[in-house]
Amino acid sequence: MEKMDNKKDFSANLAKLIKNRELLIILIILIVFFSVMSDTFFTTSNITNILLTTSIGGLLALGLALVMMCGDFDLSFASACGLINIIILILIDKGLSLWIVFPLGILAGVLWAGLNSLLIVKLGMHAFVATIATWTMCTGFIYWISGGATFYGDYPKSLTFIGRGTIGIFPVSSIIFAVFAVITILLTNYSKFGRHIYAVGDNSEAAEYVGIDSKKIRIISFLLEGFFIGLAAVILSSKLCSGPATGGSGFQMPVIASAFLGATVFRPGLVNVGGSILGVFLLSIIENGLVMLNVRWYFKYIIQGLIIIGAITSISLRGKSKGEGPKFL
Amino acid sequence: MNNKKPIFSCNNLNKHFGATHAVNNVSFTLNQGDIFGLVGENGAGKSTLIKIIGGECIPDSGNMFYKSSEIKWIKSSEALKNKISIAHQEPLLVFSLSAAENIFLGQECTKGIFIDEEEMLRKARLLLKKYPIYPELILDKKVDELSLDERMIVEILKALSYEPNILILDEPTASLPRKASEVLLKLLEDLSKEKKITFIYISHKLEEAIEVCNKIMVMRNGEKVGILQKEEIDRNLVIRMMINRDLNQFYPKKSENIENTVLQVENLNTENLKNINIEVKTGEIVGLYGLLGAGMNEIALSIFGINNFKEGVISVNGEKLHRVEVSDMINKGVYLIPPDKHRFSLFDSFTIGENITITHLYNVFPEFLISKIKENRFAEKQADKFGVKYENINQLINELSGGNQQKIILTRWLFKECNILILVDPTVGIDIGAKRDIYNLLRSLTDNKKAVLLISSEINEIVGISDRIYTMRRGKITAEIKKDQITQENILKNIL
Repeated sequence: MEKMDNKKDFSANLAKLIKNRELLIILIILIVFFSVMSDTFFTTSNITNILLTTSIGGLLALGLALVMMCGDFDLSFASACGLINIIILILIDKGLSLWIVFPLGILAGVLWAGLNSLLIVKLGMHAFVATIATWTMCTGFIYWISGGATFYGDYPKSLTFIGRGTIGIFPVSSIIFAVFAVITILLTNYSKFGRHIYAVGDNSEAAEYVGIDSKKIRIISFLLEGFFIGLAAVILSSKLCSGPATGGSGFQMPVIASAFLGATVFRPGLVNVGGSILGVFLLSIIENGLVMLNVRWYFKYIIQGLIIIGAITSISLRGKSKGEGPKFL
Repeated sequence: MNNKKPIFSCNNLNKHFGATHAVNNVSFTLNQGDIFGLVGENGAGKSTLIKIIGGECIPDSGNMFYKSSEIKWIKSSEALKNKISIAHQEPLLVFSLSAAENIFLGQECTKGIFIDEEEMLRKARLLLKKYPIYPELILDKKVDELSLDERMIVEILKALSYEPNILILDEPTASLPRKASEVLLKLLEDLSKEKKITFIYISHKLEEAIEVCNKIMVMRNGEKVGILQKEEIDRNLVIRMMINRDLNQFYPKKSENIENTVLQVENLNTENLKNINIEVKTGEIVGLYGLLGAGMNEIALSIFGINNFKEGVISVNGEKLHRVEVSDMINKGVYLIPPDKHRFSLFDSFTIGENITITHLYNVFPEFLISKIKENRFAEKQADKFGVKYENINQLINELSGGNQQKIILTRWLFKECNILILVDPTVGIDIGAKRDIYNLLRSLTDNKKAVLLISSEINEIVGISDRIYTMRRGKITAEIKKDQITQENILKNIL
């Protein structure tokens, strides 16, 4: 009899442990799967490689999560990152010190997001419409500045330290990402400001009635996103040492997909920072694993699309039983 | 007159919305050519009842008979097809279309596959000539550009365009100018006599209803109180039937210690409010009462800083303010509990605990990071203090009953020192027990020298708990009713 109870307790505890953490389980299963299927997947060099590719998308995902948590959206972050990458490289080529150029790059990101927030929060434009417009403009700026060609220049050796350097087996960029990921998780889940972000995203009218300035919270979230866009651009320039016209666009879909994926865990139905980070890792592990298994590269797009559909479906189904859909759509 | 044929009847209609019994066992019969008045307080169930008859709302139980056969509408188009139409209190119009297009929405004149605009306009003009309620109406103007009363005319014409056998009018004269009202009422009488059209007429303007109706049904709390025939109709009788008086002992006793003024509103003017002057003193509960849309909510929103106001001064504890910010008011201990808790108060994705701490987050946690354990312990303590029933402080707020949700909202404000509490419809949709708890809580606030301003659409509540009452009509304060004069008759006299 006691044994039965123990068994019941165990399965109840297991269910509790898994609840809202399904994505984590999938991630672990995938890692095990790829490790078994491929000899090269679970090696130091490949892990370093995965971490290296995750840091830029990860920083962008932190920013997008903050914006989406307030109920806003941004489609322009990836091309903004590409534009700032080119600007940084041009300034370095002109002989400016990295100590000046990198902060300027971050500032550019903040200004870019500030422009978006002006349109969306101050002028009340729909976030999709506003950022489609700024995204399109950004693409125009990139081609204007670069003439459509990849920008190359004279760079000091020290440029590559942030983007390609490692400390032990850990890439420098991943350490930067890890530091900001921890800060952002603390900020959103454990600070008063973070609680206010959740409040605005949940019910901005009710937030006003408890004295929260929703507009201020939304603008600050955009500015923080801008900081992350700038930082991502700094790492991108250090990693590529070149300014392709399509520099940032590769990040757009995976980062948006990771936000949706992230909304399936921890706080189901809500975009959250922890979930987004998990989403970024999941997507880059799938991408890397597929390469290791010699699957053709274009399949990753099909799989990304399927993942977005799967994530939204799972949130909708869960919401249906409670009579509500995903909060961010 | 006596050989009228019955055209419609209903038996034991019932409709629930959650815990609210909106229509409770209502039965009545309409004869052809009746002008059937329907009166009752806000929330008495009149609108739900006519929605059931018009097929916009499906009853939980009960039968309806129309022209001697039983009917069960599933959607309003079926009722329309059978010539039962409704002119709604708030016109359901498409703002980007013209008046004529709105009138014939869903029954457009066509030429092949195209809409024949000219034919439609011509038919609309004919309709307006036939029913000349407001001959000045410009039919090809967009509804967007029409005034509120003109929109009501369009809504009425739209309902008439179906050539109904039964026409239901929900507060048709609420926003109409006097002359148009008179024409409309005359028209009703003519149509009922000559064309044998049957009307159901809802109005808060009792004089009009008494004048034009040949029967009046009074409703209260979803129930039929009674039906008066033409010769029985008497204004005082109707008012007495609308009012429920046996709830008096339900409320806490009135205040004995009213002292100095803590909240004063002087010459407040906004788009809809005209020269509002009110004051609230420590130790008293002040009621603010009027018909829906008379401006009570706007006063509350102006005091709390949600709405901006053009002119006026709001004084809190003697400090005069010309502009008000919500966060300033909260710092001064002035709290507003808005109506419709799901829309304006609750965070659905938050736990019970998080819904409590959100208001005074910076006071509960002076340190930078929130400790979940400390937060839950704090929230549990407060929820217990205010008598909230819950299983686990980490439950989502939606898992609680309406009464307990409302107690959570009171808790979230009152755990910190409160000076002035403003409430708008705090007891809507919650059970009797929770209501009594809330009344007692308000009284204990004033016993501790706090001030309460209560806005409610339930007249019983206003009479039962207020120490003093302001009545409102169309954006103006019409009377200040003091302790001994507080009766429902006195209030109704000043709001209608």
